[in-house]
Amino acid sequence: MELSDSVVKGLQTLADPACFDLKSFSAFTEVAFDSLLSSTGNGVSGHPALKNIDQALLKHCHVAATTFILEAVKQNADKSTISSCLEDVKFDSEKVETFYTSYQINKRNLENLLSSIDRCPPHITDASWRLEYCIKNGHVHKVNQPSYLISFDVENGEREGTSSEVNFSCTLEQLQDLVGKLKDAAKSVERATQL
Amino acid sequence: MEEVDRILIHSLKQAGTDIDEDVQSVKQFSSELIVEAVVRCLRVIDPGLGSGLSPTLPPGMSARFRLGMSLAQACQDLGYKGEIGYQTFLYSNEPEIRSLLMFLVEKLPRESAEASDQPAGKSVLLQKAIAAQIKAQLALPWLPPSCRLPLHRKTQSPGLCHSFRAQPLSLPYSQKASTKKQAKEVKEYWREHLVPVTSQPSHRASILASLLENHVSELSAAQEWENEWNSQGLLSRLTPEDYRSRKRARLQKRIEEQLRAAAQPRPDTHGTTRSTSDLAELLNSFGGTTTGGDVLTKGTRFTHAEKFTFTQEPEKAAQQMAAAASALPSSHQSEEDLKAQQEAELSGLQQQLQQLSVQMEEVGGDIRQLTVSIHQVSDELKQRELSNSEKEDTVRVKKQTIDLLPDAENNLVKLQSLVEASAKRVVHLAAQWEKHRAPLIDEHRRLKELCSNREMESSRKLSEIKDLHDKIRQSAEEAKKKEGLYKQLITEYETLPKDVSRSAYTMRILEIVSNIKKQKEEITKILSDTKDLQKEINGLTGKLDRTFAVTDELVFKDAKKDESVRKSYKYLAALHENCTQLIQTIEDTGTIMREIRDLEEQIETENGKKTVSNLEKILEDYKAIRQENSALAAKIRDG
Repeated sequence: MELSDSVVKGLQTLADPACFDLKSFSAFTEVAFDSLLSSTGNGVSGHPALKNIDQALLKHCHVAATTFILEAVKQNADKSTISSCLEDVKFDSEKVETFYTSYQINKRNLENLLSSIDRCPPHITDASWRLEYCIKNGHVHKVNQPSYLISFDVENGEREGTSSEVNFSCTLEQLQDLVGKLKDAAKSVERATQL
Repeated sequence: MEEVDRILIHSLKQAGTDIDEDVQSVKQFSSELIVEAVVRCLRVIDPGLGSGLSPTLPPGMSARFRLGMSLAQACQDLGYKGEIGYQTFLYSNEPEIRSLLMFLVEKLPRESAEASDQPAGKSVLLQKAIAAQIKAQLALPWLPPSCRLPLHRKTQSPGLCHSFRAQPLSLPYSQKASTKKQAKEVKEYWREHLVPVTSQPSHRASILASLLENHVSELSAAQEWENEWNSQGLLSRLTPEDYRSRKRARLQKRIEEQLRAAAQPRPDTHGTTRSTSDLAELLNSFGGTTTGGDVLTKGTRFTHAEKFTFTQEPEKAAQQMAAAASALPSSHQSEEDLKAQQEAELSGLQQQLQQLSVQMEEVGGDIRQLTVSIHQVSDELKQRELSNSEKEDTVRVKKQTIDLLPDAENNLVKLQSLVEASAKRVVHLAAQWEKHRAPLIDEHRRLKELCSNREMESSRKLSEIKDLHDKIRQSAEEAKKKEGLYKQLITEYETLPKDVSRSAYTMRILEIVSNIKKQKEEITKILSDTKDLQKEINGLTGKLDRTFAVTDELVFKDAKKDESVRKSYKYLAALHENCTQLIQTIEDTGTIMREIRDLEEQIETENGKKTVSNLEKILEDYKAIRQENSALAAKIRDG
């Protein structure tokens, strides 16, 4: 994991036992995770256990810690990566342990948050169809061709899971084409798993 | 054979052939499967050879025949010694196919095994991760939204989505200067008023995006600086701070030049004169103040320009606005009046302008004349002063000579001695100078040499430093790669099935080896037995022959005398003959038995060749070809 100088500096301050003892460190870790997960709350500056630490330093550490957490979650870092990273900035084993336990607790939620940064196409959840038979139209006296009216129920991620419909009509060939393409897509997804 | 078939099928699967799970031996291979397997192997062995062949059997009979022929040709090109033709593929028999597949599998390149030792690239790892993720998602059943737990949110509809929108953050530290150098007010702001970063973005969703973006931009800035420092900064032999300040100064100068060039007043635009003067003013202030100001460390021309455009002082802008406003016609006079007034004003102003310009020219001419005359006069003055000092010198010399005239002879002698003494002194001084000069020159040379040596040394060290830097980077990269490889291998090792233990395999191999040894011993025993038997038989036959010869002679001798003995001799001969016949028959039986066994084996192999079914197939294919031919003929006739 690559970290910028400022993050490294902040983490080194966090590792320094003169600034953060174990108790204030665990309080700080909790606050850092909380501040990422919930927007409410006063953040670092209001916590009683962190009152006697220089506020500017504290805020710097907060930036570093939150950035580190996000990078770790982003890269799906395992325990060895995290502990080697933290040991590089001179964390002792107790602090690493404290950090890792809260990391494990909050990892899933943070992953969800990160994966919500996305543009998701609508998901098809259901389909219904009707057959329409056209006998004649305004131009031709005798058409006699079937066409299909397809309606997809889709779930839209960008608007909080509201479902809407996508309607279209197609001829037999077009429908066959669509079905073939869908099958192809399913097959290529399956092929992608067999790597 | 089962073991061999399993290995074969495994290798073929690795070469990319799609073999069903229930196909366990080569016997079950269909023609399609054989063709596919062979083509896949050919493609792996020699892409140029295999790319022209399709892995699927075409429907047309003649096309199948052609494919079989080309496959056989390709195999022969690879060096397959056995008998091969289109029939090998279309009308397969087990042993032939097995030997062909074994040949092909042996030909498969072995590098694939070695390649797995190389660290897989990041993209491969990512692809694997993606594949695993897709697999996991495919395994999950779909749930309607109402039944969905938060657990499923990640894999099924992801819920609320945001786009990646980052906002600039105000950070409680500075990238450019160390914290101690910051102004007191800034520090106080950080301590007292700065909101924690997670509360800064207006929208909750952009917290993560802003933090990530901030970090990445810091990283990339550091990386860029590192690159530049290694490529150019190190060679300039400056400390990083000096290098930065010098670069900043250079950039400022360039920007200033550019802006000056752009701000040159142009005669065709009336309005710009005012703003250009402002611009020039600003430029001056810009050159003066920015050195201490908040210029970005890695300021590009763009950032400077940006800074320039956005920091324009508000007062000046206000002034400009006021000037523009006053220039607007503020009266409500009628248009004609205005026009007439303007014309009159214009003509008056033009006249004034002309007058002024004429005056200007006159005054300019005067000034020029006057400056020329001033020059002349000052030159003259200098010359006069020079001649004056010369004359003063001559007057002094003459005065002294006049003073010396009364006692001319004495003075002459004195003067001569003086002259001699001074000449001597000059010579003496010159010698002394020479004495001093030589060591000084030597010293100079020595120092110069030292200097150049030092320079060489320093450049050598510089290159060494550069090499070291490169080495450090390389080793760091290598270490990273190795670590990645280690991790990857560990995960691979963990995912590998644990039940197939190595020891079981070795045990089995050892068992097989010992079996083979035992069999070999048995064979040698049987062989020696056979030899012994053969020897015994030979001995017995010899003995028999000899006894018979002796008995025959004895009995024959007696037979001449005695009638009964003659009879017994006859019996003896008959016995001998019968016995030989018996032996002959036994031997014949043995050979026949052997022949029977051979024939049985042959029958078995022939049965293995699926001759009947193949014949039927050939018959069908023959019919198909005939049909195709007739269809083609019909087409030709129609055409």
